[in-house]
Amino acid sequence: MNEILRVEELSKSYKKGKKAVDSLSFSVHEGEIFALIGPNGAGKTTTIRMIATLITPTSGDAFVDGHSIIREADKVRSAITYLPDEAGAYKTMKGIDYLYFMAGLFCKTSEETERCVSRAVKMCGLGDRLEERINGYSRGMIRKLLLSRAVMTRPKLAILDEATSGLDVINALDIRKTIKQLSKEEGMSFLLSSHNMLEIEYVSDRVGIMNRGNLMVTGSVEELKSRYSAANLEEVFERVVNSDEIR
Amino acid sequence: MKFGNILKKELRELLTVQTILSMLVVFFVYAFMGKAMGGAINDAVTSGESMTVINLDGSDFTARMLDSLPDYGFTPQISELESENYFTEMERLGTESMIVIPAGFGESAQKGGGAEVEVYTLMNKGGFGSALTGSHAFSGVYAIESYVSDSFQNDVLGLSEEEKAYLSEPVVTAEYVCANGRTENISAESLMSVMMSQSILAPAAVFFLLMMAAQMLMTAISTEKIDKTLETLLSAPVSRLTVLCAKMTAALAVALLNAGFMIGGMMIYMSSMMSSAMSDISASGEAGEAITAAEAAASLGLTLTAGETAVYGLMIFLSIAIGLAISLILGAMATDIKSVQTLLTPVMMLTMVPFLVTVLTDINALPTAFRVILYLIPFTHTYTAMTNLVFGNTGLVWAGVAYQLLFFAVCMYLAVKVFTSDLLFTMSFSVNSPKKKSKSTRNKGLQTEDREQ
Ligand SMILES: Nc1ncnc2c1ncn2[C@@H]1O[C@H](COP(=O)(O)OP(=O)(O)O)[C@@H](O)[C@H]1O
Ligand SMILES: [Mg+2]
Repeated sequence: MNEILRVEELSKSYKKGKKAVDSLSFSVHEGEIFALIGPNGAGKTTTIRMIATLITPTSGDAFVDGHSIIREADKVRSAITYLPDEAGAYKTMKGIDYLYFMAGLFCKTSEETERCVSRAVKMCGLGDRLEERINGYSRGMIRKLLLSRAVMTRPKLAILDEATSGLDVINALDIRKTIKQLSKEEGMSFLLSSHNMLEIEYVSDRVGIMNRGNLMVTGSVEELKSRYSAANLEEVFERVVNSDEIR
Repeated sequence: MKFGNILKKELRELLTVQTILSMLVVFFVYAFMGKAMGGAINDAVTSGESMTVINLDGSDFTARMLDSLPDYGFTPQISELESENYFTEMERLGTESMIVIPAGFGESAQKGGGAEVEVYTLMNKGGFGSALTGSHAFSGVYAIESYVSDSFQNDVLGLSEEEKAYLSEPVVTAEYVCANGRTENISAESLMSVMMSQSILAPAAVFFLLMMAAQMLMTAISTEKIDKTLETLLSAPVSRLTVLCAKMTAALAVALLNAGFMIGGMMIYMSSMMSSAMSDISASGEAGEAITAAEAAASLGLTLTAGETAVYGLMIFLSIAIGLAISLILGAMATDIKSVQTLLTPVMMLTMVPFLVTVLTDINALPTAFRVILYLIPFTHTYTAMTNLVFGNTGLVWAGVAYQLLFFAVCMYLAVKVFTSDLLFTMSFSVNSPKKKSKSTRNKGLQTEDREQ
């Protein structure tokens, strides 16, 4: 299988001597849903922001579709889309205008823009509400709008930070279904993050467990559960962290 | 094309109902302030000709005087008192000031000694209006004085018309103002009303422009950061410089639009001030003044020439650009809406302190140390530019322009530095430094919340 993302020894220190992310290495294959999981402050967002070319690594590198996030940041940005944690959208815009605005940044021709937007319109399920200002949208509506915007351009890799956090059960389920469907039916690749380990089981093909800036283990959910003889990922996390502290 | 898209989006964000409204408010405040002040003065001048007069003196002399006052340019509205409480009486009569002629007035006036009238002014709403009408009760008093003086000169002294004319104006004052090596036949007082609008109103306009521009851009950029739309935008295939340029261009365009409104309002203000200043002069009929205050100011070089106006405009433009660049950097540091207000404070101090100093004192007369500190603030040069240009301190003005250009270059360099590096996402300032991130319980109850932050 093709590697869409390869992360090599990626590190980041915000302050000297304190590593927020410490030599992370993993890869994401084409059509795969990979999730970084770990508690708040584990370093998931920092890792994701480096891959999204928003901040520069202190050391190490990562390659999206073969392009270095350090040396070819603009090529990386054309290959990815990124949905930040707790992101909003321009409140004074109508939902539909937001989609056109964002599509305009990715697409080269107006036909392409139209295609992207109509895809997003179908996917977000907001219907007529797209003609309203984002001002009046609920959290769940905004997340659906942003998710559809993140996948409408069929990026090589869609990066979603805490995609379902802060949403109610129904909205979270909708989002998870959409992600799963896009991966299965269209072969899209996802890099997700979540601090909710139970929820992420249902959506990810493979996970990487992070704690205090370190990537402890990676593997498929089933593989990890049987390796640590755990009932769910939370138990896996507990055992991984405990064995790390004993070592 | 992407630049155009982003520029459009930025403009849309900046031109909210709120910003447009505040522009209109400023415009109308300036325009109406001129109209209202000009109007108040005109009103006072004209309404001074008619005022409530209470006659408590039964003498024939006073009765004759009240009949003749219209010949002296004053029409008394004779009323009766119903009680001794002048406050309630004035409220009842609906007047803000009145002249009371006490008993015994006629007798004293004819004897030629110590005739007294009383002027009452009602202060129940405070402010300008009552003070103005109060002072204009004196045009009534002036008419009474003239009548008494005339009748004394006629009836008691038996003076001729020439002698009376002489007594009415025994000495004629011709006033001159010298400036910029020239002299004009005008009183300093009437020139001041023209000068004041230059030396106070123009800096005030610049001050408001700066504050509004800074506030607007800072709110916009911090909202983008807090909503994380900035992260989303910068992860898209657009260069950060494009985004920065679009933001700066949009903010400048909106600030200039705002400036347009303000200049429009000020022009209306100035023209109404001018016309009322002129009617003031003609009403008081000061001796020897052959030209209007505006003409005198121009001929004395106390107004800006076209070239000087252009330099002044450039300085205003540079000041706004500097203010915007600083706001861009500071706004990028905001982590919540509350911190925006705090971040605005340094910009506010930098704009307000030199503004107040300029308006209240003459910077060039301050001790050197203060002067240097004030001139290190780039906005100071714009505030003082009007005065410096008018009085020919062109060297100081050009130095100011050069300094502002340099300052702007440094600010833009820093803004580019912030925008093209990690700083945009790592630099932060928040009012309550320990980050409070309360995340509500998720759909699947249990969660490990090991707080590292
Ligand atoms: N802008 C920043 N400046 C300094 N430290 C930061 C910054 N952002 C995150 N950190 C620190 O880096 C660590 C990892 O944070 P983060 O990547 O946000 O974790 P996660 O997304 O897994 O919750 C934390 O200790 C956090 O305090
Ligand atoms: Mg995070």
